[in-house]
Amino acid sequence: MPLRLVLEPRQAAAPLRALISLGTALGLAWAFGSLVFALAGAEGLSGIGAAWRAMLQGALGSGYSVSEILVKAAPLTLTGLAVALCCRLNLWNIGAEGQFVCGALASCWVALFMAPGLPPRLLLPVALAAGAAGGAAWAFAPALLKARLGVNEILSTLLLNYVAVLFMEHLYYGPWRDPAGFGFPGTAELPEAVWLPTFFGTRVHLGLGLALALAGALWWLLARTRWGFRARVLGLSPKAAAYAGFRSARITVTAMCLSGALAGLAGAGELLGVQHRVQDGLASGLGFAGIVVAFLARLNLLAVPLAALFLGALLVGADQLQTELRLPGTAVLALEAALLFGALLGEFLAANRLRLVRRGRKEAGHAG
Amino acid sequence: MQPSETPPLLSCHGLSKRFGAADGIGSVLANDVVDLDLYAGRIHALLGENGAGKSTLMSMLSGWLSPDSGEMRLSGAPLVLRSPAAALRAGIGMVHQRFSLVEALSVAENLALASGGAPDARAAAELAHSFGLALDPRRCVAELSMGERQRLEILKMLALGARILILDEPTSVLAPSEIDALYATLRRLADEGRAVVLITHKLPEIAGAADEVSVLRRGRMVARNIPRDPALPDGWDMAALSGLMVGRELPADGAASRREHGEVVLRVRGLRGQGQPPAFSGIDFEVARGETFAIVGVAGNGQEALAATLGGMTRPASGSVEVLGRAIGPRTGRDLVAYVPEDRHGAATVPDLTLAENLLLSTTGSRGAFFSRRAGARSAAAAIRALGVTASGPEALARELSGGNLQKFILARELAKGAPLLLVEQPTQGLDVLAVSEVHAAIRRAAESTAVLLVTGDPLEALALAGRVAVLFRGRIAGVVEASAPDAFDRVGRLMAGLGVDVSNEGGPAVGGPAAGVVAGGAR
Repeated sequence: MPLRLVLEPRQAAAPLRALISLGTALGLAWAFGSLVFALAGAEGLSGIGAAWRAMLQGALGSGYSVSEILVKAAPLTLTGLAVALCCRLNLWNIGAEGQFVCGALASCWVALFMAPGLPPRLLLPVALAAGAAGGAAWAFAPALLKARLGVNEILSTLLLNYVAVLFMEHLYYGPWRDPAGFGFPGTAELPEAVWLPTFFGTRVHLGLGLALALAGALWWLLARTRWGFRARVLGLSPKAAAYAGFRSARITVTAMCLSGALAGLAGAGELLGVQHRVQDGLASGLGFAGIVVAFLARLNLLAVPLAALFLGALLVGADQLQTELRLPGTAVLALEAALLFGALLGEFLAANRLRLVRRGRKEAGHAG
Repeated sequence: MQPSETPPLLSCHGLSKRFGAADGIGSVLANDVVDLDLYAGRIHALLGENGAGKSTLMSMLSGWLSPDSGEMRLSGAPLVLRSPAAALRAGIGMVHQRFSLVEALSVAENLALASGGAPDARAAAELAHSFGLALDPRRCVAELSMGERQRLEILKMLALGARILILDEPTSVLAPSEIDALYATLRRLADEGRAVVLITHKLPEIAGAADEVSVLRRGRMVARNIPRDPALPDGWDMAALSGLMVGRELPADGAASRREHGEVVLRVRGLRGQGQPPAFSGIDFEVARGETFAIVGVAGNGQEALAATLGGMTRPASGSVEVLGRAIGPRTGRDLVAYVPEDRHGAATVPDLTLAENLLLSTTGSRGAFFSRRAGARSAAAAIRALGVTASGPEALARELSGGNLQKFILARELAKGAPLLLVEQPTQGLDVLAVSEVHAAIRRAAESTAVLLVTGDPLEALALAGRVAVLFRGRIAGVVEASAPDAFDRVGRLMAGLGVDVSNEGGPAVGGPAAGVVAGGAR
């Protein structure tokens, strides 16, 4: 009897949906990751197993590696929040990477050129605020185009990423290049007064606390304030927002700028907490990874830090792959992609049931 | 009942269908031992109010639902349908109100999708020609008018060999000029030996096309196969038919309009919609406290856009809408209008939010930075009690409510605003019989203390609730009819169909209070 696959909508309870979604994401990432390891030269099943063990070891094997996960989790939380906030309004901010870069550039500008004129106590807050403002400014143009003219924000935010990165390269190859840097591209090291404080002798910096606090604040904003209510209504049903008389265009612009500010803050934190100078490698995909974080967290703002920790562990573990098994570190990008696909597929499977049906059973003609 | 020599092509005996558990709360007996005979060569109109069970009956005939009891016979042989595909194989095809066409594909490609072959423009053209349907097979569906899309749907059914063709509310999407073409097509298909069924709640429609009429009311067949009487101008005694349909005589004494009216609440002046050409223009009228004013029109004549503008959702191109002297717009005067829009599930409520949150949608104004969920829950509980909404509580999601319960919740929310104007748009579309009567009762109660503006596509609803009925045709008020006039129904129907210039705007706008500016029983 021939079989066919049928898709049926299902009404699963929320926890079950989360389980299906996450299970699919992890399952797909595991399967795809194994395939990538095999293609990249891992020998046989044991080789693949060794690669996974190396990753696990690399991520959780030492106190240092665990602290490195926290270092990565700070910007990932912020970019994840940036993407998730927009998605809750049915907006796609694919520009967290560019906003991250602009945030870093803005705080670098404060640190390099305004530091002498500012009281030291104000320096760090001003630099962070400049980072947030830089990210928001980079999101403002796509937001305005979207709200006023209906320009697709996916394309505008995505394309502005490349503009931001090229602009950053122009600055550290050109006008901002360290005069005492022996010709290496990159700015001078920022004054220590503007560095984010670190803890326990590790690279874990204040940005992590900031990110966690902002996750809570953002949740509160959406769940408890009138603006958040309006934003949620707009995301769920633009027609209902029009019916209720909400200023939809203004809410859209505000949300996208807020999203840009979060990504910009991530960039500022990475610059002031870890890199301490603008140079090659500052834009390392943490903005794009925010998309994966947001969907792993299923757009739940309080789950974003957890998803960021998970992805942080993946990134740290992947470094170990490179050193130990001489697998290319970029394999982790394939894993990220598999996680995103898995999360999206999982959402679909959580909302629909796949069922095998015998062909012909549902159809019957005349009975007599 | 029609004595007939020829046996029916399709006959139904004792069909029943219940939704929900038997005797359970909210259970509805949609069809209660229904008999129906369809004959080849005749156009059969199935008449009934919204929620009378027409769609349920036709869904059973076309295989979408299976009856709880009763039997169907096709040319005398027992017929059991387990799927729409089986119904099509048996020669029963249904054209739904919402077309199932792929807009990006051409006419020929859509036909091929339905019949399973390869797209063939020449064969499609020949097929269309053989049935007398004018359609260019190469054109993309997105470019077609609603009438042309309907023709394509009919052609799809014919290509699949339909001998019984069922059309659900076929004129509701058509421009008046397209309606005659549809009637001509249906006549030709019937003459070729098919049985055609028109599902409708519009009496003018059957006058134009039908050979015989059956009437469903509250799930029961109250009249069966009444043939056209050539002696009558419309073919049937329309007043008797509408009496059968609604189960009561239409308010002949005009009780609704006799009430003392208060001050003028809503004043609409020279209103013209956005767009080129505008969806509506030259709209002038006034509604007083204690009065119910209805605007009716066939879908597509501008009343959707007009209602959105009157409710303050969109700005007009010119003209003004004022309630008690204050302008209504996207940013102003929202608290003066209790507005129940047509779209219950996407505009009036957000399906994924709770009732408490949905209550805050239109009632909070713009005070304060925080919204009080507790106040929302309290008000939602009050709204649930006020109109007897069946819901688990304020924390129930809007999507969990049935259409009737959701509509009652929305109505209760809007009424609680205490606004001087109640604007209701298509308030009972798609509701079951019980919910329809409850919603109507709530609107009547509201009309005792506020001005009520009813925008609807259903002339019976308008005449049942309103004192005056304005008919919108091609974006203009074609005439205003006093509901108490003896021939009110007939005149509203003719105006809706674009027939008979009753009272146009030529004599002046329909303003000046309920008594003046209205034509009762004839031209001025």
